[in-house]
Amino acid sequence: MPEEENSDLVSLTIDGVEVQVSEDSTVIEAAEKAGVVVPHYCYHPGIPTRPAQCRVCLVEVEGQDKLQPSCKLPVQDGMEVHTDSDDAELARKSVIEFLLVNHPLDCPICDAAGQCMLQDYAFETGQLQSRLNEEKLVMGRDRIADDILYFADRCIICTRCVRFMREVAQDDSLVVAQRGDRAYIDTFPDEDLDNPFQGNIVDVCPVGALVHEDYLFKARAWDMDKTPSICPGCSNGCNVTLDTKENQIVRLKPRYNGEVNSYWMCDYGRKHLVMGNRGVRTEVPLVRQGGELEPMDWSDALAAVGERLGGIEGGSAVVSPDACNESLHYFRRLLDTLGVPADAGSYRVEQGEEHTLPGFPKLTLREDRAANGTGADLFGFRRVESWPEPEPGAPLFVLQETLREAPESYAEDASFFLYLGSHLSPAARRADAVLPVTTFAEMAGTFTNHEGRVQRFQKALQPPGIARPAWMVLSGLLARSGDGSPVLDAADAFGEMTDERPEMAVLNWGRVGLKGQTLDSGAGAEAGAGAR
Amino acid sequence: MSDEVELHPAVAGAQPYMRAETQGENSAPEDAPLFDDGAGRERLEKVLSRYPTRRAALLPLLNYAQERNGWVSRPAMKEIAGELDLTPAYVHSVATFYTMYNQRPVGKYLIQVCTNISCDLCGGEEVLERFLEETGTRPGETSEDGLYTVMEVECLGACGFATVVQVNDEYYEDVTPERVPEILDELD
Amino acid sequence: MAFPETHERETRTLLSRHMGEEEARTLDGWRERGGYGALEKALEMEPDEIVTTVKESGLRGRGGAGFPTGVKWSFMPEKGDDPHYLACNADESEPGAFKDRELMRWTPHLLIEGCVIAARAIQAEHVYVYVRGEFFEVIRILNRAVTDAYEAGYLGEDILGSGWGCDLTVHVGAGAYIAGEETGMLSSIADGRAEPRIKPPFPAQSGLFGDPTTVNNVETLSSVPMILDNGADWYRQWGSDDSPGTKLWCCSGHLNRPGNYELELGMPLKDIIHDVCGGVPEGRQVRAVFPGGSSTPILSRDELDCETTYEGLSEAGSALGTASPIVMDESTCIVRAMRRVAHFYAHESCGQCVQCREGTAWVTKILERIERGGGEMEDLDTLYDLCEQMTGKTICVLADSVVFPLESSLDKFRDEYEAHIKHDRCTATA
Ligand SMILES: Cc1cc2nc3c(=O)[nH]c(=O)nc-3n(C[C@H](O)[C@H](O)[C@H](O)COP(=O)(O)O)c2cc1C
Ligand code: SF4
Ligand code: SF4
Ligand code: SF4
Ligand code: FES
Repeated sequence: MPEEENSDLVSLTIDGVEVQVSEDSTVIEAAEKAGVVVPHYCYHPGIPTRPAQCRVCLVEVEGQDKLQPSCKLPVQDGMEVHTDSDDAELARKSVIEFLLVNHPLDCPICDAAGQCMLQDYAFETGQLQSRLNEEKLVMGRDRIADDILYFADRCIICTRCVRFMREVAQDDSLVVAQRGDRAYIDTFPDEDLDNPFQGNIVDVCPVGALVHEDYLFKARAWDMDKTPSICPGCSNGCNVTLDTKENQIVRLKPRYNGEVNSYWMCDYGRKHLVMGNRGVRTEVPLVRQGGELEPMDWSDALAAVGERLGGIEGGSAVVSPDACNESLHYFRRLLDTLGVPADAGSYRVEQGEEHTLPGFPKLTLREDRAANGTGADLFGFRRVESWPEPEPGAPLFVLQETLREAPESYAEDASFFLYLGSHLSPAARRADAVLPVTTFAEMAGTFTNHEGRVQRFQKALQPPGIARPAWMVLSGLLARSGDGSPVLDAADAFGEMTDERPEMAVLNWGRVGLKGQTLDSGAGAEAGAGAR
Repeated sequence: MSDEVELHPAVAGAQPYMRAETQGENSAPEDAPLFDDGAGRERLEKVLSRYPTRRAALLPLLNYAQERNGWVSRPAMKEIAGELDLTPAYVHSVATFYTMYNQRPVGKYLIQVCTNISCDLCGGEEVLERFLEETGTRPGETSEDGLYTVMEVECLGACGFATVVQVNDEYYEDVTPERVPEILDELD
Repeated sequence: MAFPETHERETRTLLSRHMGEEEARTLDGWRERGGYGALEKALEMEPDEIVTTVKESGLRGRGGAGFPTGVKWSFMPEKGDDPHYLACNADESEPGAFKDRELMRWTPHLLIEGCVIAARAIQAEHVYVYVRGEFFEVIRILNRAVTDAYEAGYLGEDILGSGWGCDLTVHVGAGAYIAGEETGMLSSIADGRAEPRIKPPFPAQSGLFGDPTTVNNVETLSSVPMILDNGADWYRQWGSDDSPGTKLWCCSGHLNRPGNYELELGMPLKDIIHDVCGGVPEGRQVRAVFPGGSSTPILSRDELDCETTYEGLSEAGSALGTASPIVMDESTCIVRAMRRVAHFYAHESCGQCVQCREGTAWVTKILERIERGGGEMEDLDTLYDLCEQMTGKTICVLADSVVFPLESSLDKFRDEYEAHIKHDRCTATA
């Protein structure tokens, strides 16, 4: 929906409710504002063209004898629209019935069940059966990309997928073939789609005609939990929803943010997390005693680590650009306490090819394949191509960097090696103390994306064992030496961070909300606006 | 295209494209290129000169592919896509919208019998049956000798002269089942 | 493929005057018959004057909708920097219609002349003549004529030294009825798939390549030269106030003398059938007629007194459409005829709108089942419901085009449908 700019407002009534909308809106948008969702298939707010072809959004307009497609109809001052008149409702119902004519009604095995706009509307109009006595047209399924299947029988030819590819990805390789009731979606014969953003066609499909093969039959929409989050795949910081089931991430779906990713996300981001969560997890604190890493509970572990830290001065540090702002904040405080020079802390960001979504260029898969490089920068860590070998005989502090790619001998000669991380790599096993921390999905916190937008993510999974968010562990450790008190809540961690960091003073937990707030978003003036 | 007179650009994109000369055993192999000779380039240039966009030349060039090869092959679609800055998928989408583009080679004589209402009233179905019988084929299938493909077609726009039959680029009017053998004889 | 002898010469008065004369196809032959005289006249007129003359003549579009041609031309915006286009609709595919083919194969220069005059009226710099792909004979003839017209200076940059000019390109389709719908045709030329699009904007605002465009039928444009030659009043001496002039009638089906006849608008339909076309063969009776092509509401035997004007047929509950009566005698099974008609529209739906894509196919399946034997009485209610839901809800009127004949046939021949369902076969023709 176009954000209301300064364009002129017109007022109209939708089912008797008066609304004011900008004059370049369409009736369907005005209706949404009035709290009325007019069923729609071909219209998608993120896809520019409005072919008005599915004809399900028909509404009655006073003074016009034919029903009008509300997705295309411009608003006019004084217009009186009825979405609930008998004619409009009947027309809608009949579109559903028409669509069910050749629809297999295989909901029990369809991947979209529970999030299908055909099922929804059919349910609403009380019409799950069609009167059809004839044989249904059977077309079967087809692969249209290495990981996307197309079930032609379920397709309602709304052309959202085609128009997403054509207009947003600007890659004209998905088309409608044939015509009439023989029409189907197709690529050039024997050529698959090959676009870094093609996964979005599955999301725009209002029914279960396009399906990610990886998720086929994996979970039903209604028995997945959904948590607002941020994609950790790169520094763009796309807003996503994590779909989880049985404490596992099943998939990521884009979540609308007009400033960051619109309705979309990239395929790398979709796969990166689901595929990339391999390796041995840290589950309980481990502290070296007599040459061996011994499991301990938190209070013993923190006590033991606190004791060792007592005698330490200086050293170097490595952080992961996947660590959240709050964890980085407390880590920096710890390093300051220990007298680790500011330039002795470094981070490395994995690099990859950049891809921009032409129809919404703010969505770019960035070369920096980590969510919070900007945050690491902000907290004074130095960006390096490869980590400097720690000085032999000096202490080493590592936050969340798995060190998977570290040389074999890495940190062999450290005088003391503290590792706060979620995975146990060979290098991490050399640590004197391993403090198990959660991944971003198992906690709440914030990331700062490439343009300085601070965005919140929420806890979607239960952590393994007794792992805790790094900010919790670190604030606890600091508290032991009398530096503040342990922080148990992400909002409090955030509050302390923004209080202590002048460059972050404009930020406000409430205002960051689900859409984020940029660091340059004007100090003070509106800071209280989103505090609720 | 072998015409003595030079094609005027105004009509260059409008040449009959269902010709016995390029169908059946004369149809070009799947990979016969369209635009790598003088004739192909000339046609392309002339057609392009008549439209403000390259895309508008799509139908004229698909027509040309069929005129030249007897059918519209995948390599032909790709070649056309390349010339018009379109994707092959786009060309495929357009080509499959229309019923006159042969997606695979057809017989030397493509026999299309109108069975739409006016022709049906005058025995179109029987004419169709007779053609199938005489050629020993089923609808859309090509006879073993590669000579005939018979199919049903929608209204040919000559309803007063029912039944209307189109053989390649020619109309046969007032066709009755009895005339079918005679028409087939004339063809060869 | 000679001009059929069945045509009655005396009915050929204006438009079809030179049909059947081989020489009329050639440029010289055409000039000898006074051809391009109207163009010379038009070149001395201001565009406005041409529009006014055509407006005053009352000429109505012959492509099916019957919209007044001069009025349509006047919708074109003031000529600015954007090009204007004229698209001549020669896609003739409505079952029953076969007049444009005859016009083009006998008098191609008449069409060219009409196109150039219309282009001048709407200040178009380019005319595209969209000919349906199957019309190869027409295409050969038209190509020859266009080439000659360019040579002789009737087309091109500076027509007959007037300082004004326009181009004309023949564009050939490839088998799609929907390419005859005006926005479908513009999509077919510019983008490839002949998918109609929602109006507004109308072609005069945003048409071919997004620029102002007028779409006119072959017969409409072919009527323009004689109107310019002889004036609006002359044209109005035929027909009625609302339906002036003459019209080609494409008569097909069960007739002794089917064919094209040019008739003054207004002759009673039954006279066209019985007098002009010699009635139905073997002394049988008429059962029903689609008076304006297969998309117009069906008329039963008792309704054939109506006058064949736009208003006369509309009063009779049908439409003049493409003036293509399809006559069905007693040997016709209405269910089968309707099934055949529905099948056509299902085959030709572009597939964008749900009601049309699914509805046309569904209706066809029901009719097929009834025809085969296996229909149920409830099917008739379903058909009525489907008709209602396919009316006035789609991008173009193709969906309505199956409703008009179907719903009217259900109304008027309900007993035949019922008998067919009851006995699992046609009893009306037994
Ligand atoms: C489905 C459909 C098919 C049509 N086919 C044709 C056609 O083949 N030829 C034609 O001239 N008009 C056809 N028309 C009408 C055109 O849309 C348009 O009204 C006409 O070409 C305008 O020309 P006129 O004003 O000179 O009649 C068709 C309309 C529809 C809805
Ligand atoms: S695959 Fe889905 S998005 Fe694409 S046209 Fe079909 S229903 Fe619409
Ligand atoms: S662009 Fe980056 S943040 Fe956005 S989905 Fe892709 S990987 Fe994730
Ligand atoms: S009504 Fe039918 S033919 Fe017309 S645009 Fe809709 S689907 Fe296409
Ligand atoms: S119905 Fe056969 S040519 Fe028209």
